[in-house]
Amino acid sequence: MAFITGPMRKHVNGHKELTSHAEVVKVDAGSKVLIPLINMGSTTVEVLVKEGDRVKVGTKVAVRNDHFKVPLYSSVSGTVKGIEKVMHASLRPVDHLAIENDGKYEEEAPLKPIDPNSASVEELVDFMMEAGIVGCGGAGFPTYIKYKGIKGIETLIINAVECEPYITADYKQMHESLNELKVGVSTMKKMCKAAKAYVCIKETKKDFIPTLIETFKEFNDIEVKAVPDVYPMGWERTLVYEVTKKRYDKLPSEIGVVVNNASTAIAFAHAMLCGMPIVKKMVTVSGDAVNTPCNVEVPVGVSAAEVIKACGGYTAEDVLLIAGGPMMGKTITSDAFVITPYSNALTVLKNTPVEQVPCLRCGKCSDHCPAGLQPVRINNAEKAKNIDALKKLDVMSCIECGLCTYICPSKIDVTEGVRRAKRYMSLQKK
Amino acid sequence: MKFTFKPSPNYRDTLSTGRIMMELTAGLLVVFAFTLVLYATNADYGASYAIRAVFLMVAAVVTACVTEILWCLATKKDILSTLKSSYPWVTGIILALMCQVNIDVYALIASTIIAIVFGKLVFGGFGQNIFNPAAVGRAVIFASFSGKVAADFVTGATPTSTIASNGWLVANNSINVILDQFGGLGNLFIGNYPGAMGETSALIILLVGAFLAWRKVIDWRVPVTYLATLFIITLLIGTLHGVGFWYPLYHLLTGGAMFGAVFMMTDPVTNPTSAPGRILFAIGCAVLTVIIRIKANLPEGVLYSILLMNMMTPMIEKLTDGNQIKMMKKNLVSIGIFFVAGVAIACACSLGMEAQEISGPSVQAQGNVYTIEAKGYQGTNVFEVEVENGAVVRVECVTFEDTLGIGDNATSEDYLNSFVGKTLNDEFDIVSGASYTSNSVIEAVQSALEAAGK
Ligand code: SF4
Ligand code: SF4
Repeated sequence: MAFITGPMRKHVNGHKELTSHAEVVKVDAGSKVLIPLINMGSTTVEVLVKEGDRVKVGTKVAVRNDHFKVPLYSSVSGTVKGIEKVMHASLRPVDHLAIENDGKYEEEAPLKPIDPNSASVEELVDFMMEAGIVGCGGAGFPTYIKYKGIKGIETLIINAVECEPYITADYKQMHESLNELKVGVSTMKKMCKAAKAYVCIKETKKDFIPTLIETFKEFNDIEVKAVPDVYPMGWERTLVYEVTKKRYDKLPSEIGVVVNNASTAIAFAHAMLCGMPIVKKMVTVSGDAVNTPCNVEVPVGVSAAEVIKACGGYTAEDVLLIAGGPMMGKTITSDAFVITPYSNALTVLKNTPVEQVPCLRCGKCSDHCPAGLQPVRINNAEKAKNIDALKKLDVMSCIECGLCTYICPSKIDVTEGVRRAKRYMSLQKK
Repeated sequence: MKFTFKPSPNYRDTLSTGRIMMELTAGLLVVFAFTLVLYATNADYGASYAIRAVFLMVAAVVTACVTEILWCLATKKDILSTLKSSYPWVTGIILALMCQVNIDVYALIASTIIAIVFGKLVFGGFGQNIFNPAAVGRAVIFASFSGKVAADFVTGATPTSTIASNGWLVANNSINVILDQFGGLGNLFIGNYPGAMGETSALIILLVGAFLAWRKVIDWRVPVTYLATLFIITLLIGTLHGVGFWYPLYHLLTGGAMFGAVFMMTDPVTNPTSAPGRILFAIGCAVLTVIIRIKANLPEGVLYSILLMNMMTPMIEKLTDGNQIKMMKKNLVSIGIFFVAGVAIACACSLGMEAQEISGPSVQAQGNVYTIEAKGYQGTNVFEVEVENGAVVRVECVTFEDTLGIGDNATSEDYLNSFVGKTLNDEFDIVSGASYTSNSVIEAVQSALEAAGK
């Protein structure tokens, strides 16, 4: 019904060619790593080690301890140095566990490998929790929650879309870990008892689709599905609608769907096969202000500064350093923040000024909002502080995907206006 | 090393408002250029009309820009940056394109100033105005300067004024009298007939419109919905009154329907921002166009329909506010109800109408002398024609009601004498600059010859 809702998505230039065929660079940790003691905005984290303790790669050093259980692991071997408050990729100062790196990378598998074929569904869910598998899409949502006691699932959707511009980490990771992908996807399918699984990838990844099809050839209920190269195709709702043509209210499980990221499936399989949780990440370093854009494999807890240095450093004096891609990633005003278990990219862009003109009322923002909102109307209602209008405009459904600012021909910060409206709404509710 | 903070996203599409307005300007100028070609190649008009058109266009654009500059000076705004984000020339161009080539230049200038000041600037400038500024200017011309024409430039009756003078509905057997006058439906499509400078050619407007829609400069939903609704309503009205398929086409091809649909209803500033809102807006414009045309018997319903719907825009916006996915059903229902009700009302308005018969020239014979009353440009002209053996012997003008000084070229003795000896098989010359009167002379002579041949 694009005639009366607009397309609700848009092809954006992905600049993926910058990194998709470049060699993966392995970045070693420096003399110290900082493990962020945070998960999904929650800092209720219990530290399990103390200053002076010796840890190895894979040692469980802390656990998020509220309604979610998410363990955190050391990514190097060495000595615990205590706790430091450092700016985190979520733009606030957060406690980090400092570990001095002895450079030996001695390993200690914290988990007992599990055979996905013989293990029961409950055992697998517990294992998933224990392994600290979190959504690798950026938010860090604990994955086991999606599988615990789940019923009535028909479809598992594996999201390998990677719709953020510049990012190719998933693509690279899949290239390198086809077996893990296969094991991860088939196990997840078993866990949610879905009749059918779709591995969704952009139709423009022509070189890789045949490899994927080959990988899943032995399963007749796992299908590789090419989806349009539009933003935000990788957003759960857009992807679920594309695959099933159905919409849901809060969670995809309402319509019998579970969605997981391809890199999550890989991390899960990796943990099952060799007992190691996520201690290293594939991260795309790209943009027009970094010397050699590429993907790096880097231990969790290494600072952005070290990663950028490994990529030849900056090429401009004034840059936007973005944790993530340019659409949803936040700019951070220091490169001291560290790679987290759910980091997937660092985008470095030249800071070019944008010239704004008055809103043309062109409606392009409303036509393209994937959540079906009307950003221009929200901006106007926010300026007028009209709370009733804001309620009616369903402001809180905004996912801050950034498409409204991207598309605005008048170059207005439309998304930021919607964020202001959301903040205003939250304040009014209190 | 500096790490700048900017809220996400930090990525922008290449399409800018500046580019949208430049492409719109280019599109309008293509339409204008096509008109110039039509004028220059038209036997009645010629190069002087094309030059006149350029002169008017320049006057409107310069006036629009100067008005805005003066406003900047008065309100102490930076001139260059305001002009760059206010696009006054677009209003000037559209306004000029909505006028006929014989409009008095001072009337055009005055209405341009009013369009810019009262159509746009008093509301707070570009983006804030409620009414389409060019439409405001055109309405001012209708209201205050309708008699103001430059005497040296003659344009004939337009298709809309002709059908309006016949109550916007003529019988099937009479339509050809009107259509022939404008070269048939085919020529109405191409646009070589009297009318506003940018409005006559459906062909070029549609081509430019399709291009601009593809370039995302205009929203294709608006012209498509408008033209489709206009077509459906007039098809129904035509069917109700037993007139043929030409009727909806006549509505679509004449007056400002095409131009308004592509260039004015799509003005984003004055139409709703939501997709369903725009569809409602376009349906409303179509319904009002028909009602104003047939009920108020005005030649131009499109312009007023746009201004009226501009007024409705805030209400439509409120109606369609909300999460568009959750609102989809409600929006579809609103559109459905609005469409059905609008079509019904417009059709109901047509119930009292009657298809008029248009009679050709009346012929009275006295021996071999025929007295013919024929419609000229402004009034009825009476001629006496003497025929012998199927050839003209004498043509005389008895009463003459057309414009003196212009039409009388066509009643000069030389011209009338040029008919002597002609038969039905001969070609007749048209006096340039007085085509309406000479057409009426030709028509009179032909009717006399036909009557004599019976
Ligand atoms: S940022 Fe929010 S309002 Fe803007 S397009 Fe995305 S979901 Fe819609
Ligand atoms: S895209 Fe920008 S210019 Fe267009 S309506 Fe939205 S805010 Fe206004």
